[in-house]
Amino acid sequence: MKMNRKLTWMLLLGVSLSFVQCKDSGDDVEPDDENELITSVTLEFTEQGTSNVTSFSYKDADGDGGNAPTKFDEITLKPNTTYTLAIELLDESKTPVNDITKEVEEESDEHLFVYTPTPSTLLTYTYGDKDANNLPIGLTGKAVTGAVGEGKLKVQLRHQPGAKNGTPTPGSDDVNLDFVLKVK
Amino acid sequence: MLVLQRCNKKKYISPPPELFMPFHRSIYILLLTLLPAFTYAQKPACECFIKGVVKDRHTGQPVVGATVLIIGQNSGVFTDDNGRYELRNLCPGNYTLECRIVGYNPFQQKVDLTSGHEENFNLLEQEVHLKDVEITAHRTDAPSSQPLTTLSGIDLEKTRGQNLGESLKGLAGVTTLQTGSSISKPVIHGLHSNRVLIMNNGVRQEGQQWGSEHAPEIDPFIATRLSVVKGAAGVRYGSDAIGGVILVEPEELPVDKPLSGELNAVGFTNGRQGVLSSTLQGGIKNFKGFGWRAQGTIKRGGNIRTPNYFLDNTGISEKNFSLAAGYRNKGLGIDVFYSHFDTQIGIFSGSHIGSVTDLLNVIKNGEPFVKSGFSYAINRPNQNATHDLLKAETHYHFKNGNRFQWTIARQYNNRNEYDLHRPRNDSIAALNHPELTFKLTTLTNDVVWDHKPIAGKIAGQIGVSTLYQYNLMDGRPLIPNFNQFNIGVFWIERYVKNGWELEAGIRYDYRTLKTYRIVNREKVSKAFEYANFSGTAGATRNFSERFSVRLNMGTAWRAPNVSELFSDGVHHGAAAYEKGDATLKSEKALNTIASIKYADPKWSLEIGGYYNYIFDFIYLKPQPEPVLTIRGAFPYFKYTQTDASFKGIDIAGSWQFVKNTTISSKLSYLRVYDQRENSYLVMIPPNRLDNQLKYELPDHGNLHRLFFSVGNLLVAEQKRVPANSDFLPPPKAYSLWNVQAGTTVRLTDKQQLEVGISVQNLFNTAYRDYLNRFRYYADDMGRNASLRLKWKFGA
Repeated sequence: MKMNRKLTWMLLLGVSLSFVQCKDSGDDVEPDDENELITSVTLEFTEQGTSNVTSFSYKDADGDGGNAPTKFDEITLKPNTTYTLAIELLDESKTPVNDITKEVEEESDEHLFVYTPTPSTLLTYTYGDKDANNLPIGLTGKAVTGAVGEGKLKVQLRHQPGAKNGTPTPGSDDVNLDFVLKVK
Repeated sequence: MLVLQRCNKKKYISPPPELFMPFHRSIYILLLTLLPAFTYAQKPACECFIKGVVKDRHTGQPVVGATVLIIGQNSGVFTDDNGRYELRNLCPGNYTLECRIVGYNPFQQKVDLTSGHEENFNLLEQEVHLKDVEITAHRTDAPSSQPLTTLSGIDLEKTRGQNLGESLKGLAGVTTLQTGSSISKPVIHGLHSNRVLIMNNGVRQEGQQWGSEHAPEIDPFIATRLSVVKGAAGVRYGSDAIGGVILVEPEELPVDKPLSGELNAVGFTNGRQGVLSSTLQGGIKNFKGFGWRAQGTIKRGGNIRTPNYFLDNTGISEKNFSLAAGYRNKGLGIDVFYSHFDTQIGIFSGSHIGSVTDLLNVIKNGEPFVKSGFSYAINRPNQNATHDLLKAETHYHFKNGNRFQWTIARQYNNRNEYDLHRPRNDSIAALNHPELTFKLTTLTNDVVWDHKPIAGKIAGQIGVSTLYQYNLMDGRPLIPNFNQFNIGVFWIERYVKNGWELEAGIRYDYRTLKTYRIVNREKVSKAFEYANFSGTAGATRNFSERFSVRLNMGTAWRAPNVSELFSDGVHHGAAAYEKGDATLKSEKALNTIASIKYADPKWSLEIGGYYNYIFDFIYLKPQPEPVLTIRGAFPYFKYTQTDASFKGIDIAGSWQFVKNTTISSKLSYLRVYDQRENSYLVMIPPNRLDNQLKYELPDHGNLHRLFFSVGNLLVAEQKRVPANSDFLPPPKAYSLWNVQAGTTVRLTDKQQLEVGISVQNLFNTAYRDYLNRFRYYADDMGRNASLRLKWKFGA
């Protein structure tokens, strides 16, 4: 049967084709350096009138997932004291380490840091910087502690492209951390 | 016998003879159609009948148990032991006959029982052999004992302009999983995504199905039939069809037919959306056996409006086209098909959240913070997806009744997702790269051998299917790159005798998966291997032409997909931290499905019950401890396995209680239980009841099939959810009203215009649906009126 032979060949061809059509996706895997992460948040409190600097950090070197955060400090401050508060954000998953603080500064018109103590009597924050539209940023500011007490300090970086109005409402969180705050 | 008939002027199914070349596609069925319609003097109205024989062209054997029915009516009959059928009590008019045969695609044929001629003639009840009509049919291969629900003709036309998921939503047992209004995935009996297989023109659709916001990349205008096989149909289509199979089937190629075509225009008020789609097709003079078709669709829509506000950035843009050509000579057929699908969908910007706090704030607010007016602009966040399919199919019918078919296809799915926020680094932001890119290439091969019927009673097929695919991923790490290879071998036999149809099949699949990903800047590779059997056994008993009972038991199994194995991060749409598990086993389904069906000219009823037990069902299980990230603590969900039972009933019925007036109802009831944890599972569609009251006017001049209908959809509240499993309890029950009207205007002999208008959500009801992922953020779509025009010309 001539036809049957032809068909057998076609069948063989079809089956063999299915095996040779292969490409290996493993050749194509590489780390993505365009992907921005924030892996570390450091709060730097400088006691006014002195050069006493205390730093408190959150660190999760490999970003979300993978290994658990390696550092989540308790903030300890003196009562009734005025501090200058600066914040530093890093992406330590890249080599060299990527300074996100600088990038936030460059796009300050769409970023807002929000510092919320609970109870609110623990600390009073005043913004110390302004963006091009005269709206606060929060990269640097003044923190005045109240009486002795314990609570939380929520640190948020609100990303508000095209919607920044000085309030926390628009946009979404890029950072949202609840530090333990002890005033003693 | 006095003759004053009005229905037997044209005496036979009368296609132009040139439409039916002797050797056409696939297997031929001879429909020896005899239309000796006759009437009695006093009641000339509804005494016409159509009778005939259905035969297999190649074997010459009568086809037993084929269904012959009239589209749009509830009358259907089965062919008897000699392949004969008879449809009685027909009123004069235009009908479309449909012939469905086990293992063949249904075929439609127009029948004219109107008074086209002037002469009366006297026919007694005798059969007059007027003409042999050759009907070509293409296989569907769906197990005949499993419920197959089909959307075609006028019912499909009513859904034109909507996406695939939305189009199928009207079928009993089928719902959708939505992300807003523009992204919807079909859900069959509570199962979706990787558990539902879509056969696009005979080829498994391979996209990134694991994602709940990844809608199937298919233009429904390609299809003239959308069918749903409910229940595990793993043996024929692929082992992973645990929930069911969706068949997207174009019309047969118009081999040697004259040029014809259609132009569809649909406009929707909500989103001010417009859809244009056109088809041109025909044969080629002096090139016998050739047929071609070209088709294209353009869709553009803007922001969707809920009853009280617009949803910012919910526009859509879609451009699709397809080309098909085929050649037929004697028993040989060759088909080539290419389709390109290109969509750009805006994702509601108010659904972007960074943390649980963000989500809780939106929920508390009760409506989105982001307000907007109407706009066609599609900004970030958005997703762009293209899908290319190239398919070649060849088949050969041997004179002795055997048949060979080989299909080879290549698919390329390119999905790009853009986050709301550009990178902060200006030089990277300037590149405007998507934050997620998936490029999936899939090559499939299917070889099927149909053996000739043994003793005219047993027919069957053996097949081999292979699949090779590789995934290339860029951007924010989400799923790994992978290579996957699958080979499946199946064997199905069917036995038909005395109103009984028995079928049984078995399949073996072997799958390898190799993944590559970056962990701490190092490439890590992992290999997986899965193999298992699946089977099906079923019986259909046709008690009479009106009454049949079916029972099917089928198994299917599904290997865990890469997202279930490797997810590790925050799912921002769900405010959940999702973690995969590389040690997951395959899940196995045992599905029992039974249905009874009764249909007569006045009323019809189909009741189907199913029990789908899934062993090692993979789902996201809430973990007691949240996961801490830089954006705060997120609820932690881990892919886990359990045993789950899916029990449900689908009921569809219609009753013509007054002349021209029909009420039809569809009920979908589903209960799902986690057998190991003794609790419910999340994201299960609530029960629903759909009622339609339709008034159809008699043909009036050039107006045919003029109808008005009013309908109501009642969706219950999903009360069966695990405690404390969600940020927000399932939404309340809702009730939506709709009105529709439509008609077909015959312009000339060869041209017709179909017009349809509808208003969905008539009273602009504000509601949220449990299976819409945006239910946390915003209401569902408000009132939406549409106008649909279809101009058809040529044959």
